[in-house]
Amino acid sequence: MDRECALLLPGVCAVLAGSGSSLPDDTSLEKLLDWFTGITEAGGSLLEACPCLLKLISTVVHNAASDPGVLSFALRLTGLLAATEESFKTIQEHSVLNEVFNLQHWQEAGLWEDPCLRIGWIQGLRSMLQHPNALSFFVQSEFIDPLLQLQTDTSLFIAAAANQMLAHILLFFQPVPPAGCKGVDKKEKGDGMTPSSADYTAVVKSISGYLQESLVPKESKNVRQSLQTLKLLALLLAQAGPPLRDKLLQTVGDSLEELVTAGSSELTLPLMDVILSACSSSGTDERITRLLSSMLNINKPADLIHAAAAFLRRGHHDTVHTARAVRILLLPLDIMTGQTLLGTISTADEHQFSVVEQLKSKSSCISMICVCLSNTPQITLTPPDVLPCLPVSIVTAVLSLLKICSGNSPSSSTGCSEVSRNVIGSGKVQKCALEALTSLTSSPGAKERISEVFTVLIQYLENPDSDPTVLHKSYQALLKWTSVCTDFSFITDQLRHDLVEVVKKRVCDMRWEVKDSTVEFLGHLAGVCDSIKAAAEECDASEALLGGCSTTPLLREALQDSESYVRASAISALAKTLTHRWQQGATLTEEEPEIVSRLLEILSQDSEGFPRRAVVQYFISWYSSHSPPSSSSSSSSSSLLMQSVRSVLSQGRADLDWEVKVHTLVLAELLLDEAFSGHPGYKKGSDSHHASPHAYSVVSESDLAVVVEQGVVSVLLSGLVDCDRPVALKACRLLITLRETVCPLSLGALDASAAMATVSCELPGCGWGREIIKILKMKKSDQAKEEDIADQRGLNGAEEGGDSVSVCEALRSLGLDERMEVLTQSSDHIHNSPLSLLQDILTASATHTKPGEEVIVDCY
Amino acid sequence: MKLYCLSGHPTLPCNVLKFKSTTIMLDCGLDTTSVLNFLPLPLVHSPRLSKLPGWVSKDGSANLEKELKECAGRVFVDSQPEFCLPERELLDLSTIDVILISNYHCMMALPYITEHTGFTGTVYATEPTLTIGRLFMEELVNFMERVPKAQSATCWKNKEMQRMLPGPLKDVVDVWAWKRSYSIQEVNSALSKVQLVGYSQKVELFGAVQVSPLSSGYSLGSSNWIIQSHHEKVSYVSGSSLLTTHPQPMDQSSLKNSDVLILTGLTQMPTANPDGMLGEFCSNLAMTIRAGGNVLVPCYSSGVIYDLLECLYQFIDSANLGTTPFYFISPVANSSLEFSQIFAEWLCHNKQSKVYLPEPPFPHAELIQTNKLKHYPSIHGDFSSEFRQPCVVFTGHPSLRFGDVVHFMELWGKSSINTIIFTEPDFSYLDALAPYQPLAMKCVYCPIDTRLNFHQVSKLLKEVQPLHVVCPEQYTQPPLTQSHRSDLMLELQPPPMPYRRCSVLNLPHRRRYERVYILPELANSLVPSEIKPGVSLATVSAVLHSKDNKHTLQSVPKPPPVAPSKKRKRVLEEPPAVLAPKTLLSGAVPLEAFLATLQKHGFTEVKVEETADGHILHLQAEDTLIQLEEDGTHIVCDNNEPLRTTLRDLVLRFLQKL
Repeated sequence: MDRECALLLPGVCAVLAGSGSSLPDDTSLEKLLDWFTGITEAGGSLLEACPCLLKLISTVVHNAASDPGVLSFALRLTGLLAATEESFKTIQEHSVLNEVFNLQHWQEAGLWEDPCLRIGWIQGLRSMLQHPNALSFFVQSEFIDPLLQLQTDTSLFIAAAANQMLAHILLFFQPVPPAGCKGVDKKEKGDGMTPSSADYTAVVKSISGYLQESLVPKESKNVRQSLQTLKLLALLLAQAGPPLRDKLLQTVGDSLEELVTAGSSELTLPLMDVILSACSSSGTDERITRLLSSMLNINKPADLIHAAAAFLRRGHHDTVHTARAVRILLLPLDIMTGQTLLGTISTADEHQFSVVEQLKSKSSCISMICVCLSNTPQITLTPPDVLPCLPVSIVTAVLSLLKICSGNSPSSSTGCSEVSRNVIGSGKVQKCALEALTSLTSSPGAKERISEVFTVLIQYLENPDSDPTVLHKSYQALLKWTSVCTDFSFITDQLRHDLVEVVKKRVCDMRWEVKDSTVEFLGHLAGVCDSIKAAAEECDASEALLGGCSTTPLLREALQDSESYVRASAISALAKTLTHRWQQGATLTEEEPEIVSRLLEILSQDSEGFPRRAVVQYFISWYSSHSPPSSSSSSSSSSLLMQSVRSVLSQGRADLDWEVKVHTLVLAELLLDEAFSGHPGYKKGSDSHHASPHAYSVVSESDLAVVVEQGVVSVLLSGLVDCDRPVALKACRLLITLRETVCPLSLGALDASAAMATVSCELPGCGWGREIIKILKMKKSDQAKEEDIADQRGLNGAEEGGDSVSVCEALRSLGLDERMEVLTQSSDHIHNSPLSLLQDILTASATHTKPGEEVIVDCY
Repeated sequence: MKLYCLSGHPTLPCNVLKFKSTTIMLDCGLDTTSVLNFLPLPLVHSPRLSKLPGWVSKDGSANLEKELKECAGRVFVDSQPEFCLPERELLDLSTIDVILISNYHCMMALPYITEHTGFTGTVYATEPTLTIGRLFMEELVNFMERVPKAQSATCWKNKEMQRMLPGPLKDVVDVWAWKRSYSIQEVNSALSKVQLVGYSQKVELFGAVQVSPLSSGYSLGSSNWIIQSHHEKVSYVSGSSLLTTHPQPMDQSSLKNSDVLILTGLTQMPTANPDGMLGEFCSNLAMTIRAGGNVLVPCYSSGVIYDLLECLYQFIDSANLGTTPFYFISPVANSSLEFSQIFAEWLCHNKQSKVYLPEPPFPHAELIQTNKLKHYPSIHGDFSSEFRQPCVVFTGHPSLRFGDVVHFMELWGKSSINTIIFTEPDFSYLDALAPYQPLAMKCVYCPIDTRLNFHQVSKLLKEVQPLHVVCPEQYTQPPLTQSHRSDLMLELQPPPMPYRRCSVLNLPHRRRYERVYILPELANSLVPSEIKPGVSLATVSAVLHSKDNKHTLQSVPKPPPVAPSKKRKRVLEEPPAVLAPKTLLSGAVPLEAFLATLQKHGFTEVKVEETADGHILHLQAEDTLIQLEEDGTHIVCDNNEPLRTTLRDLVLRFLQKL
């Protein structure tokens, strides 16, 4: 804690002790507590540093008129202070603890009704319970019963906090497991840290007794208590070491069995959580295994499916139960699609009958099918001996389901028509199935169905009733399947024709979302194709999928779209489509100059930010993937690029959108990289301002001149004085890199600059130019004062404004390092300091005591 | 209550309802699908059509070269197209009292019904229905008369001949009942019988029933009808829509509590969602224009075209189609576009409110103003000089057999960059295109049918809960091509009564009550007596007076005072046959008390026997039976009138007298 704060703190304590109502805003106490917590966590002793706190606590607690908020604060603060054994003793000596946590006192004062106080009580105790003495205090004060009562408090926050607290007590103080055993991760305890086993046993006894009692709801309205208890049990079992775990399981085993038998829908998932936590920690406890089996045999189909899904999610490797869960999850798909996923179901299954009945209701059908679908990818990855069918049959079933959903299933489909009518046209199921299909690419043998997958997906794209999100997911699935495909021979002319036609149609769709997804798809497809090409030279996915159809005209059309998102997507898609050509250094096509001029037009005229950002990114990717002009064929491409980059830099610099400006700086960085990449002093990456200076290397003057001529230095300088912090920060970093490269400060001023002095940069007489000149002048006058030398070199004429400045001189005189320091701090760092908080509290109280003056606090 | 079904077409219905003493025709739709069997009527001489080979049967026995032409494996009749009329033999059309029209699509057979049949009744329709219906009829007459055909083919209709014909021609029934189009005089005469009605206006028919149109939301002025008497309500639902397009929304609540609901005019495209189709229409249109092709949209001159134009109005800019010309060609194009703007009260709320801005309700006015949409009566004249390609042409007739569309088919059919987009659901697009094969033009089928789908109708029926539903048989099973789609049919409890062409249905509703008025003075004279709490009875003697299907009870006229002086015949002096009515009895005879009374009066030997309806008391000494039943008491004794009278009086003691 710094001196200033320590001085202010007693005053603040006085304010708090007086009355809490004069606080600047209701978050100040939280902030104060956060600050104290920070100090404690850093290892400082609060009690030593500020003895006034103890006084504060005792005053507040004794003051009957204290605000509940302040009381709650006092409780939590006490807990925080008592978190170490030493301070605990001190506090206890002052007999503050008993008063602060005295439940009876709060109840009698009628303050216990306030949730604020109850949560303060729990959290205070929670912070304190870090050492055995605290536990003893806790036990002796008989706090366990009230805490258990709070577990079902009317406030959800309090109930949850009580649950956490109960778990904390049992887990934190459980005996250290023998070495080598995987136990709870906690700090090593010294001898003195071991709690008296009597205290711990007492706590374990009360809590487990409570668990046993409250687990099974006495009446249906007590379900909430069971729910809370199950949550607590899951928390405990997940982390408990063997002795505690066994003890717990032994206590609650019967109750759990009773709950499983009762089969309440509300409790299915929490119950499953508990059983699965027990399973994963205890391994092969027979009783738990039996409970698990019962859970996977409950006779409410909807609950059963959720239980099975929960089981699979945990990723257990128990073959019997996995097989059971898989069968449960595949059954609805089997019924609906008529695909025999489960083999011939020999036993005229009662379960199957009830599932069919359940599926006949539309809402439960949709929710059940969605659960099944989202688990299919994982099911296909389970070991083959567990699966009732080949993974590829599951892919087929998902495909049939997709056909049923779109109303396209053949009349001969063997699925139950009474059930399947419930999903026809359901967007939710369609989306779920498409997601499943996308993930199924990694299933063994899935590729056998690729041709059918493409057919179904193209049907979906074709379907006039497909929702925009369904179309989007169809595109994603198509991309994913394309990316895993190595052999495109299955693509028939018909399929190719259909895809081309549907894409052409969808870029003309009425809904911009659809146009956007389509354009995006074309871009991603080009990307996917490039990566496939890299893997297998001979197959060209784009060619295979879209035939000779060039997507560039479609994308160029989309540049004119009325929706800005579509324009932006079209620009990125164009960049992706052309990347391959750029990398190969291909000759300029006829349309490229037209595209470039349209893009520059967008950059200068578009009213929306997205397309402008995309334009700058287009040039970033062009610049970063173009190959240096080696042959005459690509020189035209390079010169077009360099010419446009210059315009992009000057327009991007002046843009109103800060992201456009940041992207422009990224482009400038690429140019810097290229100009100085051979130079040993230059470090790529903008955070390299700590690069060690290389005294011996001198950058050639022409390199710097090129960079200036390209407009890079102007971009950086204008960025530096930008009012958007990210822009200024990025520019500052780049300028420092440049300075370290061309004229490091470590070299004598005259030394380095001499060579470079001649390279200068034009500054406009207004806007950022004037700002830069102002800074330079200020620095100059400071320097002049100190050195008493009026050195005008390098700034000739700059006073008049709108002239040139020596780059090196500027780099050295702009005070980049100080600027960097300021910029790296967040803009509200001053407002967030503890000092400011303390001052606020004092000021607020001062104005509060002066009547007639109202203070309006802006708390954001 | 009977229903005669004169048309089998579910969306072009023609039914006759006999209800109380009235005979009401519900719609008279004209089934125009028959024209698909005919060759198109080209506006300009078409060398291709004129060179089509005549049809000769394989064995050469039937030679109809003049009448039948063959094109791409199908045979077409080379004659003026003919239509399949509603059945005219099922009942005497002259007995029809009124015809209720639900929308302009369902009145195209009107001249065939009202003219030359002896029809003397009235036709009821809303104003837009009449106006646009007239446009449709005029357009049809114009299309036909513009291209007169010298010959009229009849030989092929010969039964022996028809049996030898190939393809669909062989299977068509009732070809002799097919008729050529009516004339403009017949149209005018038929429409002169129309009386205009407004939504919810109540029209009395002969005092017996009241009919009233309700908004059905399908097209301008489209209506469903309520036909009700005091105690019965029949709803006629035809061509309704719940989508928010241009017409006033559907009035559903007035359909509640119907005894019978006759349901026709559901969507013909249950699997095609109109929104999706509209999107499909726009994107295909844009795609073709971008590729430099022309778009042909065969359509009716009113209805969906307003929505298409509105949709395009919004789409044009976003798809960069600003410079593409849109042409609407129809003899009634101008009237249709202008009439639509003046029927403000029949439009949806949104459009109605525009009138007060003031702005035209439909944005096609702006399209016309900015020269993006141009309309012409025909391809001849101004159009030919201003025609610019690529363009979009909206024109009729959707069957592609007559109208200006025939010309564009011949003009654009050979190039694959052009597209024809079908938006009207009335004709199978493959059949419509048959005489133009082989065709290079791209075909897109996006039928836009905004009428109720099965999902919507089952929700509606759940809401309005009619006792019985009558519908075309097509709605009671899934479509033939999608037999597994059990969601595409009506599933109701009790199941709907299906009908087909020529069905006569006895509607299950029995009339049980009739309203009778009672004059105040007569009512005053009644003496009610309460027979159980809340129910009082009174006897009334009155004269029932019935006129115009209204029944009134009037007081019995007092006998004229006997003239003192003149002597009249004795017969006349007798009071007329106005006898005092016998008192009415009510109540039940309690067995125990009755037995006690019998005992008291000396009937001692009584044997009681229990029967299904009551008891039989056997007075053994008197050899007499008393049957006590719920609704009657009988005393059976042999020739002993005094005994009967005694027993009767004993029974009467226990009964209430009115």
